[in-house]
Amino acid sequence: MASIDLAAKEITCKLVYYGCGMCGKTTNLQYVHGSIPAHAKGAMVSLATEQDRTLFFDFLPVQAAKVGEFVTKFQLYTVPGQPYYNATRKLVLQGLDGLVFVADSQWEKMKENVESFKNLQENLADYGLNLDTVPYVLQYNKRDLPNIAPVEFLEFLLNSRPVKVPAFEAIAITGVGVFPTLNVVSKLVLASLSRGDGR
Amino acid sequence: MLSRIIDPEELESLDQGLLAFLKDAHVRCALLVGRNGMLVTKQGFTEGLDTTAISALAASAYMSTQELARLVGENEFDVLYHQGKNEHLHVSAVDTNTLLVAAFDDRTSEGMVRLCAEQYAKKLAQVLTEAEARHKDVLRSLAGLKEAEKTELFEQPGSEGQA
Repeated sequence: MASIDLAAKEITCKLVYYGCGMCGKTTNLQYVHGSIPAHAKGAMVSLATEQDRTLFFDFLPVQAAKVGEFVTKFQLYTVPGQPYYNATRKLVLQGLDGLVFVADSQWEKMKENVESFKNLQENLADYGLNLDTVPYVLQYNKRDLPNIAPVEFLEFLLNSRPVKVPAFEAIAITGVGVFPTLNVVSKLVLASLSRGDGR
Repeated sequence: MLSRIIDPEELESLDQGLLAFLKDAHVRCALLVGRNGMLVTKQGFTEGLDTTAISALAASAYMSTQELARLVGENEFDVLYHQGKNEHLHVSAVDTNTLLVAAFDDRTSEGMVRLCAEQYAKKLAQVLTEAEARHKDVLRSLAGLKEAEKTELFEQPGSEGQA
């Protein structure tokens, strides 16, 4: 549910990074946080365990370029990837405007990727949403590691729905693919708003 | 609910409502926050406070509390109250999409804040309901957002490619 302030001419949208544990969701946010100038970002909040695993969510508010007369702002959230945190994962989806599904490209993570993608659809359904109506993109992360599945295989696994969505190869730890992912999902969300089908 | 749209007049009404709540409840500041964590508006002494982060955290804590309520067989826990040594935080529902967050110290009490919050929630909810009804068609006026397709929303520091 985007927030549109006609007084301040500001639009604020909520983007959620979803995916299995350790796939690189927090790393995406950390790279964005480290790359955006101070005036265009707020503090990054991480609710993590002592082992730096996300317990509830990470949160990063950022300001994007002006579009028409509106200042556009995005609030980036991650979910905890570990399976047993589903209750909190579902809460983070509340009122979202767009999604990035981050997949870990390593062969041994394929089952977790698929389970997480299925879990995403189940949790969206609890809010009366589905992937046909929520703008989303895919990010195939960790492309620098050995033992990774080819992009075609990841596409077959995660992007074989009737409407294919944009997918990006990424090495989030060095920033490769992070901003293209963010830019495209942000554009999809604003396009969705301009069509009048915002949540 | 579709996107929340607030025009200058409605914002003024919401701010007036928050100001009246501030005065009656003697709280330090009051925030109107979407259940998705987005700050709608704020009033009071907020200098030095990261109200964006507070909004995200307060909404998440409140939503988490609602899930706890459901797990123990309650419909909802109406109010979330955090007691600190000097500063305290009150979070309660305004309507199904909006929360009232108030920070206060020992110059008032949780009871007083809760009482006033209940009273003003109805007034704030009224403004929000009217805004929702009034702006049902306003999304059409956001056609200018199509420009986003041609805009690089975030400047990228490196060169990367699409799969």
